[in-house]
Amino acid sequence: MDLKDCFVVEAKMALPNQFFVGRIGSRWIIAMRDQKKIMGLRCEKCGVTYVPPREQCHRCWSWIADNWVEVGTTGELVNYTVVRYNDKHTPKKAPYVLGQIRLAGADTPLTHIVGDVDPADVYPGMKVQAVFADGPVNTLMQIDHFRPL
Amino acid sequence: MSRYYGTTVDDIFDTMPERFQPQEAKDVDVVVGYECGGEGGGKWRLKVREGAMAVEKVEGDLGPCTATVFAADAETFIGVTLNKIAALDALTSGKLRITGDASLLMNLLPRIFKPYRVPGPAPVTARDIVAGMADRFRPDKAAGVSLKFAYDLTGEGGGRFTVAIADGRCRVTEGLEKDAAVKMTMEASTFVGLMTGTMDATAAFTSGKVRIDGDMGAAAATGRYFDRYVPPDAPRVEELLSLKKVTSIDQRFATGPVMGKWFAGLRERKLLANVCPVCRRTMIHPREVCASCHVRAGEYVELGPEGYVTNYDLVYYASPDPLTGAVRDTPYACAWIMLDGASPEEAFAFEIKKEDLPRLKIGSRVRPVWAEKTVGSFRDLLYFEIID
Repeated sequence: MDLKDCFVVEAKMALPNQFFVGRIGSRWIIAMRDQKKIMGLRCEKCGVTYVPPREQCHRCWSWIADNWVEVGTTGELVNYTVVRYNDKHTPKKAPYVLGQIRLAGADTPLTHIVGDVDPADVYPGMKVQAVFADGPVNTLMQIDHFRPL
Repeated sequence: MSRYYGTTVDDIFDTMPERFQPQEAKDVDVVVGYECGGEGGGKWRLKVREGAMAVEKVEGDLGPCTATVFAADAETFIGVTLNKIAALDALTSGKLRITGDASLLMNLLPRIFKPYRVPGPAPVTARDIVAGMADRFRPDKAAGVSLKFAYDLTGEGGGRFTVAIADGRCRVTEGLEKDAAVKMTMEASTFVGLMTGTMDATAAFTSGKVRIDGDMGAAAATGRYFDRYVPPDAPRVEELLSLKKVTSIDQRFATGPVMGKWFAGLRERKLLANVCPVCRRTMIHPREVCASCHVRAGEYVELGPEGYVTNYDLVYYASPDPLTGAVRDTPYACAWIMLDGASPEEAFAFEIKKEDLPRLKIGSRVRPVWAEKTVGSFRDLLYFEIID
């Protein structure tokens, strides 16, 4: 094929976005920021505590937005994956561990970064502890990462 | 729930005597009936006669009235009274009904009664704020501090106070103690303004609203040892978070050989079309395959460079430029240009020079304007301009 006149055009697309965290999400992250607490929403009927919180119970669909409970800042690693590539959107330099953490008192797992550990030493069932960010971050990264306990 | 917009129907009638303006009601003789349905509603009868008024809550029949107002519920009655709901809307929807002399309600009553306002909370006084200082004291911030300062707050709600901090404790007493390190004199209203944050401390001092006698440094430090004053009825504002982020996506477009020919043409300042070997139509920009005949088209011809506008869109929507992400300057025109030598209906779409937009018409003759340096890119061709 004649490639003499083939061109490659480099371009960039910039998209200004604004994501509203929501009322439930805002309260959740503000509690992390101001009180270093992790909160969940509990459905008394089903006996399920949701972390991350959701305003409606996933099972019985009742509204539980007012039923805040505090859960622990320690938990158990339910499962994990090792991220081995770098990209603009990835929060940490590879390799890093993305874990699903069931906090003490919660019934649903929270996905977050597991740090301060060699990925090779991570195992399901590992006990981990939340490490909060110092300043205000106002996103889920208000918890900087979880470290082994 | 019978409370709407911060008030009740009863409040509106209860405040009528104090809102009454007798001088406006000298030759008035009316009876107005009010009936409000639902929770928090009821019936009231207002009599205005020879500069005097009486309002009473009625059980049972309202009796003969000059005019009667019926509201479906308390929300409607309060909303209309406070102008939060347009009376006309309430009348149209049937939630508000008037019988009898309606003009009386619209013209007479607003004259003889001052409008109802939702009562605000009792204003906070300087005395209240000073009294709470001991509770707002922060021993952790005043560790090792021993300081006595005094306030001389003049005017209504003021007083003279001495605040003593020592051994991690704070004591507030009435009166000016002689051994205070500093005395701050101001009007009580200024003090309230400073403490509630409606007034700036530096501005208040430089404008002479606050006089400081004694240790200036101590005066400046006083705020440090206390939590900020928060009015007891301050509305609790829910903090909501949002994340602002500009997502930047790197892109690469490969032209392939056919579009590549087109770009190579732009570099030479030529507008190239390829020709379908079957139907002989010119395709600009060139396409791999003729969409009508489904055959490859390898023959290239140069069109234009001049042509005429067959149609155009004036675009006012500020879409991002896909190559840079920058928001486009609007309006811009995307015009369909029949280049000289093109087959019928094979128009080429491109932008028109911004300055020419006001005189752009269907049929305008146009010619391309090229970038100073052409390299084989989108940007080689700047726009088409109108030939006069």
